[in-house]
Amino acid sequence: MFSSLSRRRVFVLLVLTCLLFITLDQRGNTVIDRTRRVFSAILGPFDTAAEAISEPLARAWYGISNYRDLERENAVLRDQIEQQKGAEVEARSAILEYQQLLALNRLTSVRNYNALPARVVGEAPSNFQNSVEITVGSNQGVAVGMPVTDGAGLVGKITKVYAESSLVLLITDPQYSVAAEVLNAEFPDDAGGASTIPTTPSGIPIPDLTSSTTTSTTIPSTLGTLPINPALPTSSTTSTTTTAPIVVVRETGALSGQGADKPLLLRFIDDNAALTSISVGATVGTAGGSNSLAPQGIPIGTITRIGRQSGSRAPIVEVTPNANLRRLNFVSVVLYVPNPEAIGR
Amino acid sequence: MRAFLLGPVVRLVPVGLIFLALQRAVFAEYRLKGVALQVVLALVAAAGAGGGPERGALAGFVLGMMYDLGVGTPLGLTALAYGLAGLVAGYVILITPDPQWWFAMIFVALGAAVGEVAIAVTKLLIGEEGWVDASLFKVVPIVAAFAALLSPVLVPVGRWCMYVRRPKWKAIPE
Repeated sequence: MFSSLSRRRVFVLLVLTCLLFITLDQRGNTVIDRTRRVFSAILGPFDTAAEAISEPLARAWYGISNYRDLERENAVLRDQIEQQKGAEVEARSAILEYQQLLALNRLTSVRNYNALPARVVGEAPSNFQNSVEITVGSNQGVAVGMPVTDGAGLVGKITKVYAESSLVLLITDPQYSVAAEVLNAEFPDDAGGASTIPTTPSGIPIPDLTSSTTTSTTIPSTLGTLPINPALPTSSTTSTTTTAPIVVVRETGALSGQGADKPLLLRFIDDNAALTSISVGATVGTAGGSNSLAPQGIPIGTITRIGRQSGSRAPIVEVTPNANLRRLNFVSVVLYVPNPEAIGR
Repeated sequence: MRAFLLGPVVRLVPVGLIFLALQRAVFAEYRLKGVALQVVLALVAAAGAGGGPERGALAGFVLGMMYDLGVGTPLGLTALAYGLAGLVAGYVILITPDPQWWFAMIFVALGAAVGEVAIAVTKLLIGEEGWVDASLFKVVPIVAAFAALLSPVLVPVGRWCMYVRRPKWKAIPE
């Protein structure tokens, strides 16, 4: 049988063979890539069969065990939709203004690139990998390195492409890093900082401009202490406009993942400037550039914590992603091919 | 030697495809406290506990390579970790040639734990940082416990895959 080989030799043979394969794969090998594609095609029918058997059972179980939670969640989401309706109108007008400004200045934005909708079909089966599989591949024009977003923000990048599917490395993976910029509004007469930053609609990058308008709302006393939804127009509300300069500050750095369920970590190019000009609640988006993985203007998230590292001047800036990476159903692949150096191949 | 290598592969590959599909479709989707249960790793450890360290390492290598090809992890990474898992679980055969179910269960859990830790450590060695952290204290016990729970079912499956028959004992006449 295996008597000619001692246990130690088996161990050494195993380690060496695996290290050889790892090295070949890490350096990019066409034979391995082709083998992967073939194996993926073989595994496809098995996957389909396993899903077909497991899904009805899982759905039935979820229906029984989570019915009340689903009802409660549904009610909360309906409330949120009502609140978002007004904000959406404001957001649409802001997008139009933004597009007009970009067109005037002949600048490009993420909207200059076509996007390909896709469905998320599976999570990574390993505990040491933050990735998802989506239903579009090379046949639809997807290429390695393309950024992936959902309605709320950046989700990740394409790392492997098959004929009809692709693997997306999520932004929370420690291997993911992207050039990012923080957009922060500074109010010269206000020491409140983050709490008074005007609301920025999700998905809309703020141009580097100086705005000169703020709006305050006067509420008649007859409304008492009822909560006011600013999104909904009320006939009894009167608006007055005052002018105060708002300076939008842009700070650039590199954003990287720290693992599932952990916030993203932002490192700045200029630590000193960053410490004075950013605050909790500031918006973070992709910075773009020739060596970036994504075009400028894709929203990523908001700053939720700024700390200091002992023995270092560099601040620890944590960013919570806009996208809910635990519940991804539909995503869009932005058909933007990054520079090969940025992809890492 | 050739028969030793090729024989089990004939059975391991189809069984591995089924387990890999289950891993991708079921266990990746439905997690326990956020941890993806590893059914392929459980099969590797069970094959080791049923067939010994060499066969365990072979099963781990074959199933690990299939895992790497199917999941998109660097080729050889899971094969190395699972090979170690099978090797460690197989040591039960060196202690006793026909282990009791509970004894095999302990070694299956041990093998699975080694395999899961080995993935994180190997990733660290090839430059993928961020996985060797406190979360291992949650992930490894859950994965090991799951493998142990499945071991009474998976050890016979592993033996069948590796062409190993359970020894039959006869009383020596006086």
